[in-house]
Amino acid sequence: MANLDASSSDVTFKPKPSLPPPPNTVGAIGWIRKNLFSSPLNAFLTILSLYVIWVLVSNVFEWAILNAVWEAETRRECLDKVGLAGACWAGVTHWMKNFIYGRYPDAEVWRINLGFGILILWMAPFWFPRVTGKIAIGASAILISPFLLGYLFAGGEKGLFLQLMISIAITAFIFSWLHVLVCLSSGSTLRNVIVSATGFAAKPDNVQKYPVIALFVVLAVVVFALQGGWQLEEQNTNLWGGLFVTLVISGIGIAVSLPAGIVLALGRRSKMPIIRVFCVAFIELFRSVPLITVLFMAVTMVPLFLPEAINPVKIVQAIIAVCIFSSAYMAETVRGGLQAIPKGQYEAAQALGLSYWKMMTLIVMPQALKLMIPNIVGSFIGLLKDTTLVSIVGLYDLLLMLKAVSQNPQWNGIHTEPLFFGAVLYFVLCFIMSKYSQHLERTLGAGQVRK
Amino acid sequence: MAVVDRGASGQGSSLSEIVNDERYRSVFYQILVFAVVMWAGWYLFTNTAHNLEARGMSAGFGFLNSTAGFSISFSIIPYEAGDSYLWVYLVGITNTLLLSFISIIAATILGFFIGVLRLSKNWLVAQLASWYVEILRNTPLLLQILFWYLAVFAILPRPKQSFDVLGLGLFELNNRGFYFPAPVPGEFFGATMLTLLAAVIAAYAVAVWAKKRQNATGERFPAFWTGIGIIIGAPLLVFLATGSPLEWDIPELKGFNFQGGGSVPPAFCAVFIALVIYHACYIAEMVRAGILSVSHGQTEASYSLGLKPGLTLRLVIIPQAMRAIVPPLISNWMNVVKNSSLAIAVGFPDLVAVFMQTSLNQSGHAIEIVAMVMLFYMTVSLSISGALNYYNKLVQLKER
Repeated sequence: MANLDASSSDVTFKPKPSLPPPPNTVGAIGWIRKNLFSSPLNAFLTILSLYVIWVLVSNVFEWAILNAVWEAETRRECLDKVGLAGACWAGVTHWMKNFIYGRYPDAEVWRINLGFGILILWMAPFWFPRVTGKIAIGASAILISPFLLGYLFAGGEKGLFLQLMISIAITAFIFSWLHVLVCLSSGSTLRNVIVSATGFAAKPDNVQKYPVIALFVVLAVVVFALQGGWQLEEQNTNLWGGLFVTLVISGIGIAVSLPAGIVLALGRRSKMPIIRVFCVAFIELFRSVPLITVLFMAVTMVPLFLPEAINPVKIVQAIIAVCIFSSAYMAETVRGGLQAIPKGQYEAAQALGLSYWKMMTLIVMPQALKLMIPNIVGSFIGLLKDTTLVSIVGLYDLLLMLKAVSQNPQWNGIHTEPLFFGAVLYFVLCFIMSKYSQHLERTLGAGQVRK
Repeated sequence: MAVVDRGASGQGSSLSEIVNDERYRSVFYQILVFAVVMWAGWYLFTNTAHNLEARGMSAGFGFLNSTAGFSISFSIIPYEAGDSYLWVYLVGITNTLLLSFISIIAATILGFFIGVLRLSKNWLVAQLASWYVEILRNTPLLLQILFWYLAVFAILPRPKQSFDVLGLGLFELNNRGFYFPAPVPGEFFGATMLTLLAAVIAAYAVAVWAKKRQNATGERFPAFWTGIGIIIGAPLLVFLATGSPLEWDIPELKGFNFQGGGSVPPAFCAVFIALVIYHACYIAEMVRAGILSVSHGQTEASYSLGLKPGLTLRLVIIPQAMRAIVPPLISNWMNVVKNSSLAIAVGFPDLVAVFMQTSLNQSGHAIEIVAMVMLFYMTVSLSISGALNYYNKLVQLKER
């Protein structure tokens, strides 16, 4: 024993290097074993799922790609070629222009493209991190751009007021982008550039805004004078259709419902009983009925409610209905965000002596809106899907256009292909929006997570 | 501005006091809003009265008793052309309620199933379920309804080549609709139904007694299986004792169509299937969120107390998850009722289709009809949200 003790004293304990993990618990095989075949039941479910996926994918692939007919003049041609075994995509490509622009004349389609292009450019600064004053740009895009876009889409005679508003819109757009370019190139703001260029930099703060305003007015007057002779051919709204109408209705719905929803939500939480009662009644009434009844109400009752001289076109009636309906829903979304703000924030604002509106705009709303953004995007997705309902009251939105193809004698009875195409289109739009909202939730919520 | 004027008659200092006093301001704003709303209401009312007069129409609910001259393709309460508009309203309500009711049940079952699949440890199953949810949730319901109707149910074969569902010769699907055997109760069938009612009450009583005893003594009693036994066994005994007084009227092909049995039109099937699979997505997400909301510590605590996984699920996880699932679930049911109105797009005669479209076009009483339809939906949703509030109070965390 002693011998053994002596020998062990100068040998340090050296463990053998640990064995690699069994090959079937790591890597791809390990992952598969763990996630797909961990028990007999799971193995069975995996095989069943694989079978379901195989059946779905192979059938859709065969129908939509392998046997599909891409070029044909009539549905009969397709049927003669492949029967019902393959998709007749010719019926979709043939009508693609109508799906997007409705019956808008081909020669004037550039107006729609230009309008949406302007809107996208106007909103684009939101995604540039270095740009300041995003709220002003966003507000101008929502409040002023409709005049310019509306005129681009509808055309016709423009009165003095519309001409003025279009001038302001164009000027605001130019200003926004000048500002964005200044921000991106030098990190300064347009205001600072104008102020220093005109030599007002040394003047007191409250005078500095005058050169900016003056420049805006001058530019607006120039635009006003330039576009005096410019007139677009009038396009009746019953020519509007397709994705274009869907986007117009849901776009206006979004632009109106957000501010209206905020006002209604504030009213619902107000301490003034009369205002609260009105807001609660409005919200609860329109949240408890289906959108289709609101649409029917707008179509049948708006002409009764208004003086005989005013007879709004159908798209305006539908927009009114969509706005009312989505405002009520948005109000509840906003209320949810407001309720999530701790009472201490309100009390702290009041203790600082802020008035109600200052408290709301400086303390509560910025925090609440941040919390609400995912839900707001969710409501927008709902709104985009809900605009399909306007097809029931006879507006040629994307859905009714898709459905109308089958009524054409040459394409009689072609339902599956246009609807499939429409489903894919809606899916892509909504899916991108929902993924984006999840992304926002992660990036905006980063500060909230306790580590 | 009224406040300012009133202040101006007093002294200078009291003017600013009144203008800056929050109470006066709030009264002033309220009066202002009230006046604006009243003015808008009055404006709309006078316009409407003027327009109605110009069109030679009268307002009022008198038209409800006059006869509606159209027929309705499907109704569960007897209707024929020539019944009154009030009866049309009731036909529409019953059709809407029938469609919503069975859609709600099916969507809830499917939704729970898919919600559980989404949480499966099997990666492939979870992915499959999550893609099901993503794809169906991100396409408009109306498009799905039209798809089912136009691309599936409208191109079904004629009655002669009916598709035999389940292959038993009992359920037939063709382009006229879905045909199924209808029960024909015999003379003493009422006795069976009464026994069933009594059995349900008895099973409930047993459950209450078992719980009381367990609380008092700790002894467990298989109340669930006893209850099932009572509910199935007792009515079955009475049913057999009274000589099986229930026959099935099986649909048969006679001439060009099926005769006998019950049937629903293709539009009904299309809306039903679309509603079920669309709303099942939302319910699946709620179930998933609800189960995830129960912290894992609860499971571990329950295991450490020695509960088996099955009991853990039943006694610990599900009761807590239900607290998070039920409120959104019920508001989703409300959405099913509201979305069932999309049946109008494929011509199923629900309330909106028969009353708000056909009756409105025929009688022209827009305001009354819109008000009545909205009243129905409001009644449904207010009663559902009332029940929801009651439930919420019941299951709320009782904090001390």
